Amino acid sequence: MSTYVLMRILESIPRRYDLGIRLLTLGSLEKAYDRLARHVGRGERALDLGCGTGALALRAARRGAAVKGIDTNAQMLEIAVHRAQHEGLKNVEFVENGVAELDAEEPESYDAVMSGLCLSELSPEELNYALRETARILKPGGVLLVADETKPRTWLLRVVQGLIRAPLVLVTFLLTQRTSHPLEGLPQRVTAVGLSVEAVRRSPLRSFVELVARKPLG
Amino acid sequence: MKQIVFAWINVLQTLLRVLPFPCRTGLRRIGNPTRDSPVLLTCNFRLTVERVQRALEGVDCYLLVANSRGVNVWCAATGGLLTNHDVISVLKTSGIETLVDHRQLILPQLAATGIEGNVVVNKTGWKVLWGPIDARAIPAFLEGGLRKTVAMRTVTFPWPQRLEMAVAWAFPISVVAGLLILPFWRRAIPSLVGLIWGMSLLMFLGFPLYRRYLRTRSSNVGFVFFDFGQWGLALLLWSSFVVGVASVAFATGSFSWPLIVRWALVSLVMTVVLSIDLTGSTPVYKSDLHKDRLLQIVLDTQRCKGVALCEQVCPTNVFAVDHHRHLAALASPERCVQCGACLVQCPFDALSFQDPKGDQITPAIVRRFKLNLLGHRLEKQPKPVRRADESGQAT
Repeated sequence: MSTYVLMRILESIPRRYDLGIRLLTLGSLEKAYDRLARHVGRGERALDLGCGTGALALRAARRGAAVKGIDTNAQMLEIAVHRAQHEGLKNVEFVENGVAELDAEEPESYDAVMSGLCLSELSPEELNYALRETARILKPGGVLLVADETKPRTWLLRVVQGLIRAPLVLVTFLLTQRTSHPLEGLPQRVTAVGLSVEAVRRSPLRSFVELVARKPLG
Repeated sequence: MKQIVFAWINVLQTLLRVLPFPCRTGLRRIGNPTRDSPVLLTCNFRLTVERVQRALEGVDCYLLVANSRGVNVWCAATGGLLTNHDVISVLKTSGIETLVDHRQLILPQLAATGIEGNVVVNKTGWKVLWGPIDARAIPAFLEGGLRKTVAMRTVTFPWPQRLEMAVAWAFPISVVAGLLILPFWRRAIPSLVGLIWGMSLLMFLGFPLYRRYLRTRSSNVGFVFFDFGQWGLALLLWSSFVVGVASVAFATGSFSWPLIVRWALVSLVMTVVLSIDLTGSTPVYKSDLHKDRLLQIVLDTQRCKGVALCEQVCPTNVFAVDHHRHLAALASPERCVQCGACLVQCPFDALSFQDPKGDQITPAIVRRFKLNLLGHRLEKQPKPVRRADESGQAT
């Protein structure tokens, strides 16, 4: 699953991003997104953090939710807008915003906050800020849905992951001057902001995590 | 100890200068800052952060390190790696808002190509001020009532910087060339490495001598990477080297045609490799690889209100602003390096670029589409939306 690092290369070519991601992850990311999107229902309000070309946002919109996707990359957003227009989806909007601009959102205004391959791009301060804000803007009973890269807990798996990652990190670094930091202790961080983790699903190499957390009622 | 670490980082990062080197983002206290101390921002390129911290010794202030993906300020801002979002993010998540009473942020001037001052103000309430280009001028800037002298806002290419660029190119190129030649011509490696370092040093340290002969305005970009001016330089370097080798070989009695031909070929390749992006390695020219170097800056005097932000952010002092008549003028447009900072910052969209075909490139396009590695603004014109029934399939 270390191929997620290569995502950065693709990001510099937004138009080929989706096809590339599908090939690199052999469809597993798509499946993860499908599973996560099932937690979003018709008529609900959903926010996609770092929506990119809209993979998660569009899935939620197809299910009838009112979706807002935010991302800092204007080119990716443009593709997301095109895709929504193609499908005739009127219940999704895309806004150029970063996670640090979440304070502009109303408290308890979303039924779901989703994030695919975005949290691993944040610094520790940004990640904590994003999670705190998420807890604030979620309605009681609302869900946080995350699919992202993570660091394995045992050192053996870390070494294996590190070896697989190293050449990819180097190539990505050379081509796009970017890298990602695999998330550490995501469930703990999520719990720390007052959300309760409902489900965590990890890839065989423990390098990819799917997480569902809920804001307690009342 | 501090000195040794600083020296070590400088050496290591100069050798690997062409690669990004990220460091921790967030807030750093310099000296003993109070609630009124200035707040400065820089990128998270390790070398830059070290140098800024050193320049700020003796000053009490806060330094925000924004996420530029480990790339230096100018490249990151122009390439879309240091944007409004990164500035807003560090302002909101670093905790600085609880530490100071004022809301004034000093940004590096060279970040003006990518960070829109008015967006930061609107989204955060922080007023943006463009500081000096060189961090070493910050103490004087702070003491001088936050006013920039012409020298503080003009880029130069003095010899320490030229030496740095020579090393930054010579090291990776000599490593790669050495590895390539290792399997079949091992004996030649020391000479080859010497050749690369010598030529690189010659090229950059000698820059002021030949710079007036560089022609950077021809339009054949994309076909050959460098125009005649630099080809001339490359040929000059190469031929003088070949003559040198031949005469040394002749003098020592080891002259043979295959030897001369072999070295001539190797050195030709190295000269071309080294001079491919010569202008892009200087702060006083746009990269030859970038089409943007052919753009002309255009000022619409009808829109200009003379707020002089252009003058504040221009790194080559192109503008002259009449502060009584509230009007800017393009005093020296030939100095323009097409960085786009003035377009991005002008609140009245009075500035734009014109390409050689006469088409206008608006500030909106420059703000939205940053330069990628090859210097193309990713998409200059938004593509018209195709309806599903016309195209027949989804993209």
